[in-house]
Amino acid sequence: MIECRNVSKTFIQKGSQEVPVLEDVSIDVQANEFVVILGPGQSGKSTLLRIIAGLETPTTGTVILDGEPVTGPGADRGLVFQGYMLFPWKTVLGNVEMGPKLCGLPRDEARDIAMHYIDLVGLNGFEKHYPHQLSGGMKQRVGIARAYANKPRVMLLDEPFGQLDAQTRIFMEQETERIWQTDKRTVLFVTNNTDEALFLADRIVTIEGKLPGRVQRTYTVDLPRPRDLTGKHFLEMRREIIDASVLTL
Amino acid sequence: MSQEATCSAASSSIANETVGQVVDRGPISLGRILTNRWFLHTVSIVAFFWLWDWLARSNVLGAGSSVLARPHEVLEQLAVLTREELAELTLWGHVWASTQRVVIGFSIAAAIAVPLGLFMALNRYVNAIVKPLFDLLKPMPPISWISISILWFGIGETSKVFIIVLGTFVPCLLNAYNGVRLVEPELYDVVRMLGGKRRDEILHVCFPASFPAIFAGLQISLSIAWTCVLAAELVSARSGMGYIIVQGMNLSQPAMVIGGMAVIAAAAWGTTLLVTALERKLCPWKRKIVGL
Repeated sequence: MIECRNVSKTFIQKGSQEVPVLEDVSIDVQANEFVVILGPGQSGKSTLLRIIAGLETPTTGTVILDGEPVTGPGADRGLVFQGYMLFPWKTVLGNVEMGPKLCGLPRDEARDIAMHYIDLVGLNGFEKHYPHQLSGGMKQRVGIARAYANKPRVMLLDEPFGQLDAQTRIFMEQETERIWQTDKRTVLFVTNNTDEALFLADRIVTIEGKLPGRVQRTYTVDLPRPRDLTGKHFLEMRREIIDASVLTL
Repeated sequence: MSQEATCSAASSSIANETVGQVVDRGPISLGRILTNRWFLHTVSIVAFFWLWDWLARSNVLGAGSSVLARPHEVLEQLAVLTREELAELTLWGHVWASTQRVVIGFSIAAAIAVPLGLFMALNRYVNAIVKPLFDLLKPMPPISWISISILWFGIGETSKVFIIVLGTFVPCLLNAYNGVRLVEPELYDVVRMLGGKRRDEILHVCFPASFPAIFAGLQISLSIAWTCVLAAELVSARSGMGYIIVQGMNLSQPAMVIGGMAVIAAAAWGTTLLVTALERKLCPWKRKIVGL
């Protein structure tokens, strides 16, 4: 479904100083699989997601989506941003129906699709609200609905709950699982939170903590859903991941 | 105990003043009336007019009525001006003459400068061509053009409109330009990811995102437009509020001068309200700033 083949990325900073961010990253994601990329801050994982989104080009290597190489951003991938990035001048409905409209669907159809996904993320009744009237969790629901509304083949989520408080975050993780179970997609989810990764993932790919980011290990999480954050197997896997990824400064 | 201490510290915080929260809702008492906002507004306004009247009556400023008119004399003078013509126009005619110049000059400037500012922000070739000329014009006070514009266009309408266009052009352009420049770049990524092209980025991000900045520019321009029209009319005019003020000065009638100043303030305030109303209509997403 998605194949990252030996992706490397080096940024050129001011004064032509080279900063290697990703090195030789290869990841395979199957259709309808929920893959979480887990790594600490500044490990290049967001850059990897932006490369898959087509917003950055890899220095070497390729990203292949359903057999076709990714050459730029497109509506077949839905991106959810860490900072929500809602259009403040559009209502919830206006934000969510933007994608279908940009893809050329007629007004009525775009609205129907948008209403469906607003309903799916649990925001019915809020479609006429502006983003500044919503809480952080609700904003990100809009972000998820907006990405879903284009019915993308892949959902890319870049630390979507990083700005939320702990309680809201757990609630949003449960909601993410519910939404995914209702409308299955291939998901690539970036986070720095081990619990979040274990709660959501079919498979976890850990990225090393120092630049350039490299794939450290892959864990298959075959615990039954919905997962118990304090269950025995959950905690065992948690210990395993944390032990393997302790930062050496 | 410590809880109480933090509470009282919080209530005396400057944040309570600036955020404008209602702090206490106790029973009505003399203390509450004396600290009521509207009561204090009334006190300061009454005190202002009383001080003004006292200054006009006493000889503190010199020879009485030829220096400062009493408040009611200003009102009487304005009432006379609405009935009797000054240079073939009543007060309303003069207000309209100034307003017309402001509206025409402001509209011309906004119609050219706002699109040009947007173009400059979106196209670096346009930017490279226009920017040096604009930087040359920018620091020049618009009033400094009055003499040359009278030489070019005479003392008619054209020279006054010209000054206003020059003065309002700069903030209109700068704000439109900066409005686009300061757009959160990730919003463009959103449009791209949703299937949009460059045209959509401009239409759905650049324009709406720069609206608040454009309107800030229009508000600044409007107050500059009133300054410019007044300056141009003070130098040479046969109509307008500036003309009334100059006549008042020549006739040694402070009531006429102060009346003219008050009317121009009212007219400027009125046009500002119109732009604010337009902004509310076009930018309903903007959080309203309360208490200003």
